[in-house]
Amino acid sequence: MESLADLSPGTTAVVGELRFDEVDAVRLMELGFIPGMSVSCQRRVPMGDLSVYQLDGTQIALRSETASRIRVRPEPAAGVENAKRD
Amino acid sequence: MPSAIEAAPAKPQPEQGARRTVAICGPPNVGKSTFFNRLTGLHQKVANYPGITVEKRIGRLELPNGPPVDLIDLPGIVGLHPRSEDERIAIDVLRGTSRATPQPAAAVLILDSTNLQAQLRLVPEILGFGIPTLVALNMADDLSARGGNVDAQAVAKQVGAPVVAVSARLGTGMDKVTKFLEGTLAPPQPVELPVLNNIPAERRWAGGVARRASYHPPEPSLWGRRLDRAFLHPVAGPLIFLAVVVLVFQSIFTLAVPLMDAVDSLIGTTAGWLGILLPDSMLKGLLLDGVWGGVGSVVIFLPQILILFLFIGILEDSGYLARAAAIADRSMRAVGLEGRSFIPLLSSYACAVPAIMAARTVENQRDRLATIFIAPLTTCSARLPVYALLIAAFIPEQPLLGPILGTRAAVLLGLYALGFAAACATAWVLKSTILKSKPAPFMLQLPAYRWPTLRSLSYRLLDRSKIFLRRAGTVILLTTIVLWFLASVPYTDGEPPAIGDSLAGSIGKTIEPLVEPLGLNWKVGIGLITSLAAREVIVGTLGTIYGMEADEDSPALQDALRSELSFGSAIALMIFFAFAMQCMSTVAIVRRETGGWKWPIAQFTYMLVLAYTAGFAAFRIFG
Repeated sequence: MESLADLSPGTTAVVGELRFDEVDAVRLMELGFIPGMSVSCQRRVPMGDLSVYQLDGTQIALRSETASRIRVRPEPAAGVENAKRD
Repeated sequence: MPSAIEAAPAKPQPEQGARRTVAICGPPNVGKSTFFNRLTGLHQKVANYPGITVEKRIGRLELPNGPPVDLIDLPGIVGLHPRSEDERIAIDVLRGTSRATPQPAAAVLILDSTNLQAQLRLVPEILGFGIPTLVALNMADDLSARGGNVDAQAVAKQVGAPVVAVSARLGTGMDKVTKFLEGTLAPPQPVELPVLNNIPAERRWAGGVARRASYHPPEPSLWGRRLDRAFLHPVAGPLIFLAVVVLVFQSIFTLAVPLMDAVDSLIGTTAGWLGILLPDSMLKGLLLDGVWGGVGSVVIFLPQILILFLFIGILEDSGYLARAAAIADRSMRAVGLEGRSFIPLLSSYACAVPAIMAARTVENQRDRLATIFIAPLTTCSARLPVYALLIAAFIPEQPLLGPILGTRAAVLLGLYALGFAAACATAWVLKSTILKSKPAPFMLQLPAYRWPTLRSLSYRLLDRSKIFLRRAGTVILLTTIVLWFLASVPYTDGEPPAIGDSLAGSIGKTIEPLVEPLGLNWKVGIGLITSLAAREVIVGTLGTIYGMEADEDSPALQDALRSELSFGSAIALMIFFAFAMQCMSTVAIVRRETGGWKWPIAQFTYMLVLAYTAGFAAFRIFG
């Protein structure tokens, strides 16, 4: 498992590095993609390459190209709402 | 300067009258507008911030104990780093750096209490603007209904600002809001807040505040899960999407048509009464055919606009629109746009005017401009009478695909396809050149499903109707008066001239060399001029010129056209109508929505050149 795009529906991981420029990374963080945050892939959107992700109380659809630039790592243990790492 | 200026010396000069303004701010989809509507009721108006396309909603609120305040409903923000024009203006107003609006005296920050641990991050950011701020934890009813809980007082103590739990939908908790607006709500002790510009740290702080205020997030909504499973199902999802599209499309036509006919006959009847009342004169002609006819030609669009915005309102408020945009994303991306452009473009098959207004749902400014630019190229319903007349006159009905498709239907279908292709090609060209945006990550928030309320739907409809009537109304009225004038002078012996001898006739004859390359004569030339007001007007004009019943089904008119125009010139005329922006309402609304004349002029010119070139080519080929 390398990036958010590799996450299959129903699985959960932890947000890692955001491979974007400053402006885009800030917006992703404002929407909840903060390194250390737990994120789960909910489903694929039909007719396209969007996937719906659930994190920090909201649902966000991303194109696979965007998701592939959000690195993720496996979740350490179940039930961690937001980890401490920066 | 009047002496009654409020104490606080705002950085830019306060607007005249210097009433206290309070801004309502917060993230998208937290019920800001519901909150705003709840407080201001019908005392609100919508204008544009000067020079830009963002809407400024202001409402006045009378307070039981104190002077009235002006409430500003700011566009949604998710942080201090704006990406769109809407977000930028919201932050500029709060910071006091907007030249259009002085810094408000206070702010109400609305947060969604069902997702507090994430949303509290905005509190230090908004408090950082240094104006008294009330934090309203909205949707308190939803929170407790789903087993969640929060201690608003404990939150207040930790953020150092007053905090209330409210339900803008039900109106609970609003008494505290009133107190805050009156300035009688004592703020808690200020506290030290996290350093800004470090989102992870702000988020950790927010999580801590929520925890210490014994915040229990609500149980995830089962219904939301179930609805998403259906709406985004690999098979059912697209089918539901298709059904919604067909429903919207159909009702714009079928539901609106009887209403439009009713408006039409109402205008006709009242015109008849006015005609009896007024003495015969040139003024009567101006009032009846110019002004009243002009009013009618604007009001007739209202049913379509209302029905369309009712549907868009339901789709948007319920949360389905975001899912539809997700499903449409792939196909829209093929022409360089994104999923959110889909609904506006669909609407433009009925009428480009509401479609262009609906393009507000497109967040990216450049995508929105591209959507507005191509919307009038799709085949709107005003083109149908023109197509119907020309097809009936020039295309013999022959079966093409057995009983399914005849030549006439095929030509009509071809005209739809032509408009669609031109729209796609134009979008692609715009998005690869002047409206090219740097490839930004596409992030589409899917808001929680909610029942749309009658209240917010009616405010939305009222709002859109007022904007349309005011903007399109003034331009259309002016245009119809000018066109009436052209067709009615010179008056001789108190009688209007035959159209060939009128000013319009002279202009038609003058521009004949221009329309001749398309195989058209001066009579059609006049029709092209009068149809600038609205496309279908050409049918009536041609009827007048040829002196016969002006109806697209009229066989006499069809015969007359056949005797003067060739097959190729009829095709050229249809193609001209497919591409040309023969609609002043659209021009007026594009001017309003883009905040200036640059885009409507560019659009008009582009479409005219396209129409003329394609018409010329068609005449050469089919001539």
